Amino acid sequence: MKPISRSRFDRLIELGSRKVAQRVSRRSFLTRCGGWLIASSALPLLPVSRRAQAGDTQQKAKKTFSSEFANQAQTKDPTQCNYWRYCSSDGYLCACCGGGPSTCPPGSSPSPTSWVGSCINPDDGKTYLIAYRDCCGKDSCGRCSCLGQEGDMPEYRPQVNNDIVWCFGASSMVYHCSSAGLVGLAE
Amino acid sequence: MDRRRFRGNRALRGGGLAVLVGTAALAGHTQNAPAADSPRTDALVTNVPDAVTRTTGLRVEPMTRPAIIYAENCEGCHGWAGVSVTEIPTLAGRIGYFARIPEGRRYLVQVPNVALNPSSDEDIAAMMNWLLATYSREQLPTDFKPYSAEEVAVLRKARIDVAADRRRVVAALVAANELPSPDALAIPHATLY
Repeated sequence: MKPISRSRFDRLIELGSRKVAQRVSRRSFLTRCGGWLIASSALPLLPVSRRAQAGDTQQKAKKTFSSEFANQAQTKDPTQCNYWRYCSSDGYLCACCGGGPSTCPPGSSPSPTSWVGSCINPDDGKTYLIAYRDCCGKDSCGRCSCLGQEGDMPEYRPQVNNDIVWCFGASSMVYHCSSAGLVGLAE
Repeated sequence: MDRRRFRGNRALRGGGLAVLVGTAALAGHTQNAPAADSPRTDALVTNVPDAVTRTTGLRVEPMTRPAIIYAENCEGCHGWAGVSVTEIPTLAGRIGYFARIPEGRRYLVQVPNVALNPSSDEDIAAMMNWLLATYSREQLPTDFKPYSAEEVAVLRKARIDVAADRRRVVAALVAANELPSPDALAIPHATLY
């Protein structure tokens, strides 16, 4: 039969589909189509090793400490809020202000008083006592504002509260930044 | 172990905290006390997996439970060595005197932040005994009887007027001739900020 399409491309498609229509029955087409549908949906059910995908979630589930903070914490970068010692730190990190996690930036001075909390080190799982000592005598640093709430109590228990400016006894009550010094091993 | 910790504190007070200008080291005493200062065994110290301690090699000591109770509840203000700024009463070399008379022994536990502390009676009793023996052993009476949890439980129920009660206790200590001088427990006047 002479094709009715004018363009070459249309004619090619027409010839092809006519040939298929003449040679292949509709039932056979439906059978094949159904076969492919079932085969493609059943393929993922085959017993394939999926350890690679499962490994990721297994490793995440490994770290389950009683402290929510410790589960997300790291021990390498003291300029990040999730550095393990900052589990109760509220304020600007001295490590971002020219100091370190346990040193005051130049121009500010460590308060002689502080409050003491405890954090879990995610690498060894042990609990350490941390002194949250403010650096005072200079205007607010303003960098790396972090808020950890582990063991933080309301203001009526001021000795374990992190909303207070801990500059008592310092040369000036002006708050600059918060440090977190190691005191000892609790367990 | 706690004694050693105490010595480290003294070294820190002498050398570190007085210098308040510039990048003064203010880490815990364990960080500041050089490892060579005290004869430590590896069983007593821990390498902390931490960015700072990794580079400096500093280690911390495990603490006893009474020391932990003191650190978490008192040390921040009263200081690692029981000595702090003018505003905070000194513990070292002083608190033992109070234990010489019954009303003073009561007072030590009835001080608001001891009586109202969330710690258990057992922990408070152990902490008080540790504190007295560690920071003020020389002032303790020779027949000092350690606090028991039961005694603490009864004592801490009372609510005192802390300043007036202290004056009364100190007057009683002076009257009983228990102090080396009448102003041995005097509190210096704090200056205005």
